[in-house]
Amino acid sequence: MKKLVFFLCAAGLLAAQDAAPPPVTARSRALDLAGAFANDGYKIRDGFWSGTLEAGKPQFLQVNLFSGNEYWISAAALPPEAKLSVALFDENGLPVATEIFQDGASAAAGFIPDTSGKYFVRIALVAGDKAEFCLVYSYK
Amino acid sequence: MRCALLAAGLAVCPAAWIPASEAMTKAQIQSAAVADVITIPSPGEFFAALDDCGQPNWKQMFQPKTAASTASREQMALMLGVLVADGYLAVEAQDGQGVKNTGKEIINLAKKLGLARENDNDSQRLLRRGNSIFDFAENNDWSTLREELEATQNEVKLLMVEQKDKDLVILVTVGAWIRGTQVAAEFISKNYNPGLAGILRQPAIVEYLLSVLDNLPEKLREGPLIADLRKKLVAVLALVQTKDRAPLAPEAVQELAATMLGLVNAISSGEKAP
Repeated sequence: MKKLVFFLCAAGLLAAQDAAPPPVTARSRALDLAGAFANDGYKIRDGFWSGTLEAGKPQFLQVNLFSGNEYWISAAALPPEAKLSVALFDENGLPVATEIFQDGASAAAGFIPDTSGKYFVRIALVAGDKAEFCLVYSYK
Repeated sequence: MRCALLAAGLAVCPAAWIPASEAMTKAQIQSAAVADVITIPSPGEFFAALDDCGQPNWKQMFQPKTAASTASREQMALMLGVLVADGYLAVEAQDGQGVKNTGKEIINLAKKLGLARENDNDSQRLLRRGNSIFDFAENNDWSTLREELEATQNEVKLLMVEQKDKDLVILVTVGAWIRGTQVAAEFISKNYNPGLAGILRQPAIVEYLLSVLDNLPEKLREGPLIADLRKKLVAVLALVQTKDRAPLAPEAVQELAATMLGLVNAISSGEKAP
């Protein structure tokens, strides 16, 4: 009986190790945030954009958005003390109004384009010196 | 839009709908990153926009293409993209058997490219994706299927990179974009309205695709299919580059639809587009 208990405990331990949560990464955090929008029918794109951000050096990504769709562009950074901002610009580089969400190292911008075409996403570090970031987007 | 955040217990900034304060500089515009997997919209995203504005009869529009037998790896890569777009079409049409057939064709073509070998661990990832597509189609899980199709496409691209076929990666993207645009342009040409035609205005994507095709190795770039494709995309750029973000005119939509159909047929048959 003792042997069986030991075996079950050992098996349980192994199972627990197998079931250990995956390491938290900027991507997993960005997907967590995007997951909130998925509950509202937004589909998350499989691709992502990642890199390193430094204070005072925002990065820009070109995207192509369609009128008729609604978008949430979600980003997250590590370390968690970092603070991010996400903003959107039209093809001429002029800022466009977005709905924003900001929670420390996670941020998102919601947008419904009137016009299809090229837009730019700006991701910037608002607090912190350096951070790894990942950006994903979802649409419906 | 707030519902999603509130439902998840997240708070939207009280001053919502805020534009960023400063415009981008020219240098920032020119140096903006382009990431194939995120900058180029998936066919699903394209079709969602079409669905919102035009309510197409997807069942009628789902007329899947079949890959002709070929030894040309670039033709196979382009065809993989076409098939991925067909997968999205089948999902929009809620045609489970259509999704399964398309999924099977994708895996068969991937096998011909050496991307899905039975005894290779990396290849197993792709075969598992193929099985997932089959299972989700069996259960009519349309929403998950859209994500699974994109994940399968990205898996194919990743395996291409791993087997040092990275030049083929962009051809998968090109194939999917051409098929998505052909389907949309054909629908819009028959149901024209300026709002719908705006969806087709994608000069930045065409410019990007042309730039990557230009960077392919000469042997690949000068092959008849790719050379013809490139020539046609230059003509397409002139069609979709409208002034002041104006939607495409009805004649331009018709021309675009005809050009894209020619390209899709050329990709599936290997014969030169008219």
